[in-house]
Amino acid sequence: MENRSIVRKLIARPEFGPFVLLVLEIAVFQTLNHNFLSPQNISNTLAFTVELGLIALAMTLLMTSGEFDLSVGSVFGFSAVLMWTLFNAGVTSLEVGFLLTLVTAALIGFVNGVFVTKLKIPSFLVTLGMLLVVRGTALFVTDGFPQRTWNAEGNWLAELLVGDFFIGPFRLYMSLVWFILAIVVLGYILTQSRVGNWIQAAGGNPNAAAARGVNVTRVKIGLFMLSSAMAALAGIISSIRTSSANPNSGTGYELEVIAMVVIGGTALMGGRGTIIGTVLGILILRVMRNGIIMVGVPGLAYNIFIGAIILGMMALHSWLERRHRAGT
Amino acid sequence: MPNNGPNGSEPLIRMVNIRKSYGQVQALVDANFHVNEREIVGLLGDNGAGKSTLIKVLSGAVPLTSGDIFIRGKKVDLRNTGDAIAHGIETIYQDSALVTQLSIARNLFLGREPLKGPRFLNRMDQAAMNDVASGLLKKVGISKNIPPTTPIGSLSGGERQAVAIARAMHFDSDLIILDEPTNNLGVAETQGVLNFVRGARDSGHSCIFIAHNIHHVFQVVDRIVVMRRGKVVADDIDPKKTTVEEVERIITGMSEADIKAAVS
Repeated sequence: MENRSIVRKLIARPEFGPFVLLVLEIAVFQTLNHNFLSPQNISNTLAFTVELGLIALAMTLLMTSGEFDLSVGSVFGFSAVLMWTLFNAGVTSLEVGFLLTLVTAALIGFVNGVFVTKLKIPSFLVTLGMLLVVRGTALFVTDGFPQRTWNAEGNWLAELLVGDFFIGPFRLYMSLVWFILAIVVLGYILTQSRVGNWIQAAGGNPNAAAARGVNVTRVKIGLFMLSSAMAALAGIISSIRTSSANPNSGTGYELEVIAMVVIGGTALMGGRGTIIGTVLGILILRVMRNGIIMVGVPGLAYNIFIGAIILGMMALHSWLERRHRAGT
Repeated sequence: MPNNGPNGSEPLIRMVNIRKSYGQVQALVDANFHVNEREIVGLLGDNGAGKSTLIKVLSGAVPLTSGDIFIRGKKVDLRNTGDAIAHGIETIYQDSALVTQLSIARNLFLGREPLKGPRFLNRMDQAAMNDVASGLLKKVGISKNIPPTTPIGSLSGGERQAVAIARAMHFDSDLIILDEPTNNLGVAETQGVLNFVRGARDSGHSCIFIAHNIHHVFQVVDRIVVMRRGKVVADDIDPKKTTVEEVERIITGMSEADIKAAVS
């Protein structure tokens, strides 16, 4: 009986559905193409997965607090452009350029947060506006051309951010280490820390939280800054790894990131969030992207599968939610 | 003046000549109101009589236009709900101001979570929170064995009220304001909430009890205050010496002479 109730508890967890889906996905792709779980394919898939993943992890906290950020994709592109422009023009060293870029991104997040909390404008409108401002700036500054990035060769900061190393046959990047670190830190904040309780309360019932003396405004502004800074970090890492800083890169990432978060079980309207779920959501979407190409489905069909996964997962989460409410 | 406590001391709360206008609309017109220590006051009045506004002023939710509020004889300025809570005034609204997604323990300590370990880790002491929460749930008399990690969303209306009352008691609020706590509750649950309220008084707290159902008010309060058109029209009705019908007549409005007759 004891075992049965543990199994029941596991099934009731919001992460259970995404977990099953991920296992199923991997099993199906591996059956259809035996190279799917090859070290080379796993290494390739992981490289970009963790970059998007960094944004999704920060977005999880922001969405738990009841807001979301559509400008992360444009910040992803803009940040790489900004850092490399500063560096290539000889204005700053790479290190200072890196710091300046992160501060700029945090400032963008700050402005988002102030508009949302102080002026009480929905985050959808605020961050949509910011998306256009930031993307427009990136295009205007560069005349639409990619920036040179190859001067980074051998720089310690570049090595620290995305240097590659081998574990057995796997070629891994340092960004994987940052990703795991972010999982641990943000997971801890959300579930163990006092701030985590405030984040969930801010999303669940902001009036109740404020009545208990929680500074909802500060919590939300902080999370907007975090999501913007993480988008910048991801953009910089990606630009160093691919040796390109394109002002158009990151287009559409905001939606993919939000999809990852909600597939994992975080509530779109806030109040409930799970970092483990988001990690599963990240893997589900990236494995799907990689897998359907590996098994020979035309890449253009990708969105059909992603859309179906989102709809299916939302149906599952809402069913679980209703069962939970009914107390079974 | 019935403004003083039983032995002539200052009452816990005294509101003097409170005015509140929303533009042209006068919600409160020189309202006078007080609550003594360890007293349950029933606040009654028809819709629009001004009870909600009076409570909102006292809980810091809306600023008053003019008038003074004293706590134990000391003048206070309640600019927001945080001020009111800091002064020991806790308001429990119909939606009970709980976060449904969070557990009982996390709600109880929201905003005042105990920490453990080094400060910079910001780590909540969840074991301690759960311990205290279990004890409190027993104290307010939630009989069923509900673990403190249960999310508020899966509790019944009465249980939610109990959690909110437990929170107010734990953080030593002097005054607990209950705004329609028995709305939408079944018979057994209502009795439960009324018991929580009595329990709160017996452990030294004062309460203001607002309810549409006069019978609920009669069962639990020490004194009844009636408001009409922004004014307190009767503030010393003893529920043991008055009938429900008499109070109903005061609520709906009669001549001043009739009120005096009913009160004395």
